[in-house]
Amino acid sequence: MKPSATHPGRLERLYALALSLYPERFRVAHAAAMRQTFRDALRDNTLSRRTLIPLVLRDLVTSLAKEHFAMLYETFARPALIYNALVLTGLSTGLALALYAIPQQVLRQGANDPQIALATDLVAVLERGGLVEALQQGALPAVTGGSGGVDIARSLSPFAIVFDDEGRVLASQAQLDGKAPVPPAGIFNYVRQHGEDRFSWQPVLSRERGVRIAAVMQRVNGAHPGFVLAGRNMREVEAREEQVRQMAGLTWVGMLGVILVGTAVFGWYTRPKAA
Amino acid sequence: MATGTAPATPLTPAVFAILLSLAEGEKHGYLIMKDARAPHGGGIQMGPGTLYGSLERMMRDGLVEESGFSDDERRRYYRLTNLGHSVLAGELARLDAAITSARSLGLLPQGGRT
Repeated sequence: MKPSATHPGRLERLYALALSLYPERFRVAHAAAMRQTFRDALRDNTLSRRTLIPLVLRDLVTSLAKEHFAMLYETFARPALIYNALVLTGLSTGLALALYAIPQQVLRQGANDPQIALATDLVAVLERGGLVEALQQGALPAVTGGSGGVDIARSLSPFAIVFDDEGRVLASQAQLDGKAPVPPAGIFNYVRQHGEDRFSWQPVLSRERGVRIAAVMQRVNGAHPGFVLAGRNMREVEAREEQVRQMAGLTWVGMLGVILVGTAVFGWYTRPKAA
Repeated sequence: MATGTAPATPLTPAVFAILLSLAEGEKHGYLIMKDARAPHGGGIQMGPGTLYGSLERMMRDGLVEESGFSDDERRRYYRLTNLGHSVLAGELARLDAAITSARSLGLLPQGGRT
């Protein structure tokens, strides 16, 4: 029996099966017409099977890929969907930055607390007793409770250094490679004008070792003015900051994943449907 | 729904072949495929998937439309719209200018086909 619309041949049945691989909307719109076109091609005596079958196979591969890509584009490249995803991405990025920046600032500012107390107490004693005299009477160990010789590269204890008005070291609990570290001249100038500075400091001697100090410097007023620097190695604080950074980063990646999946699911369920 | 936005030129070989085929009048899918395969239709080997994918996009762009005529409930006929005619004319003019230029450069023989 000759193949017809009501009695399709084997090739046409196979082709009809292949048509089910097209995206739903395209299939609903064109599958019947495509099947008819294929049937017309089978009936065309001027077109051999040897030409038709490779042609149709190539066409299936390329047009399936093209129509699925077009379907994905129509589904997910809708401006409203992209706009929503971008807004959510922006919000999640802002939230992740806040999740990092707020605890980081709290940790960093909190790292100054012991030094502020130490510097304030020591300045009060030095101003009351006179800079040189009070130091001679042991004001530094008395206030700080330490005996000196804090290796700032290793120790996490707060330390204090007293400078004269020219920025020369008068007394120091801190040592780095056997010397008392001295901050840059700009810090002295700033404190001379403003009374106090709080800063993160990487002493020149320790650059290659990455020693960073949470430092507070205050001005000592009186007949012999000078400066008190209180500091503490930031190693532990920075380790906690790194943990916060990693948690914020993971949270950000997780939020982006949720947005991606949510956008894909929402896009799929609101995709343009077949007429 | 047709948007009526003319596609950028040059047209793809499939779109050009379909426009050229339908310039003769309304035709169904297999006739368009057959015309496209012929040397005078562009010699484009186009299967049903490419044909109907192209026709769908061309209908969306307002270049072709279904005529409504059918000799079989599965066989659909298509025809050019006014925009389709003008896009085809523009593409032919572009190709004509390119052929003229090729002739003047000696890349093609003068006076048409040999």
